[in-house]
Amino acid sequence: MRTGDDLIEPLLVLKDVAIGYDSSASLVNIPNLEILPGEIVAIAGPSGIGKSTLLRTIAGLVSPISGQLEVCGVTLPESPPRGVLGYIPQKLGLVRHASVRHNVELGARAGVKSRKERQQRSTEAIDIMGLSEKSTEPIRRLSGGQQRRVATARTLAQKPKLILADEFLSELDEETLTSVLQAVTNYVRGSKAALIVVEHDISRAKMMADKLLVIDDGRINPFVKGTKAMEVNV
Amino acid sequence: MKTAIDGKVIASTFMILLILAFLVLNGMVSDWGRLTGGFSNLKNFFYQSLWPPDWSVLEPQVYPVCTARYPFEFTCSTAWIGVIETIKIAFVATVFGMALSLPLSLAAARNLSPGWLSFSSRFILSAFRSLPSLIWAIFFVILIGMGPLSGVLAMTVYTVGYLGKLWYEAMEGMNKTPLEAAQAMGLSKYETALNVVVPESANDLISHSIFLFEYNFRSGTIIGIVGAGGIGYYIDLYLRFLQYDKVVAYLLIIFLVVLIIDFISIYARSFFTEEDDLRAPSWFEVISGLWGAPSGAYSWTSLFRRR
Repeated sequence: MRTGDDLIEPLLVLKDVAIGYDSSASLVNIPNLEILPGEIVAIAGPSGIGKSTLLRTIAGLVSPISGQLEVCGVTLPESPPRGVLGYIPQKLGLVRHASVRHNVELGARAGVKSRKERQQRSTEAIDIMGLSEKSTEPIRRLSGGQQRRVATARTLAQKPKLILADEFLSELDEETLTSVLQAVTNYVRGSKAALIVVEHDISRAKMMADKLLVIDDGRINPFVKGTKAMEVNV
Repeated sequence: MKTAIDGKVIASTFMILLILAFLVLNGMVSDWGRLTGGFSNLKNFFYQSLWPPDWSVLEPQVYPVCTARYPFEFTCSTAWIGVIETIKIAFVATVFGMALSLPLSLAAARNLSPGWLSFSSRFILSAFRSLPSLIWAIFFVILIGMGPLSGVLAMTVYTVGYLGKLWYEAMEGMNKTPLEAAQAMGLSKYETALNVVVPESANDLISHSIFLFEYNFRSGTIIGIVGAGGIGYYIDLYLRFLQYDKVVAYLLIIFLVVLIIDFISIYARSFFTEEDDLRAPSWFEVISGLWGAPSGAYSWTSLFRRR
């Protein structure tokens, strides 16, 4: 089995990919897209246009209608190596009756086999997200913002190569948002991972991302941070 | 649910079903006049044969000689011996049934397993469920003779069939996002089942297990009649001698045990309720809430009051 250390760049490649649930009417068509290690990419666009479906397709939960999709060196439908893909769905996907620690350890479990290291990673991630005092609480008793932090901690404990996050910063107050974003950015930059985030707040998307992908009328328009095109068109 | 339905659709569907049920019943009943004497017959039977219950069933048996001291002589009574044996049978059968139901229900759930595995697991569960526990008891009595072991085996088989179905339906009804997150992360089916599916559907799993324990206890009263042990043996004995007042005493004791099981169910499930800001009730609240405390401080609805 390949490990995360063997992976070659880029982390994500999409070639002539059409996505959607109905093969006769694709939601988004992507001629060519590459995501490199250390990159933060935001996907923006109106509701119902296919942003989350794109993320679910990359996560291997929805099959692309056509085209070639390569995640961490593995071409779908073959599954990428265990633990290289971190996913924060819009509804978070937390186990509501289980504790914060249990949920965070699920991420660590995907990333590492050793129990000791799993616990260590979980403790670190819980600390970073400021959830130490809540670690034994069941998820259902946490606020929406706290639950988002748990989902983020789960991904940080996993230490994946490619993080897919669907509006993971919503419901957070400004202070928490800054610290969560800082933690995720530090991880992505430091470990040469990549983050693809669906973000409905366009100004926040511009602020956090190196590259902004705006989905409009079934097509992806890429804008690179700092360029005139981004300032003028987005 | 994929299709949205409103209250009117539900109400009219239910009305149609109700009318249909009455029409079917009317087709089966030839003489409605027989209903007229029913209530007076019941009244006569109740006061002449059933009431008051004969609580001598709680007195120690003459033989074997009771060695228990005051106030525990009742532990030598047929009611106590029968109830305890039935509880033991129900407990063992439920636990064995749970252990066998878990892998089968995980395999049967369509959102967790491939079609061929799901179908074959459902086939096994349906086969176990197709015969009532009484028939399984007769089967095992023929196979291994009379006694509690036949009762345990009969109830275990039936528990697997019934509990397996309830569990896989609960698992299929769970939110799919935790499963998708686990799948995307690369967790194995085994890890997902143990760490995501079981805790996420814990409320239903516990509730169904306790229900099955209660069901097995009540079934114990029936399967005892065919010689599979438990309180049913004594009920059958007194029915044969037409001592219905003693039978009523046994039935009231069974009712009391069922109520106690219900308390346990309320308490256990309170740890896994969906509400965000609830706390588990104390035992005092469970019991007083059920009976309705005079002060109203612990009403039934206050069992799950806010923190």
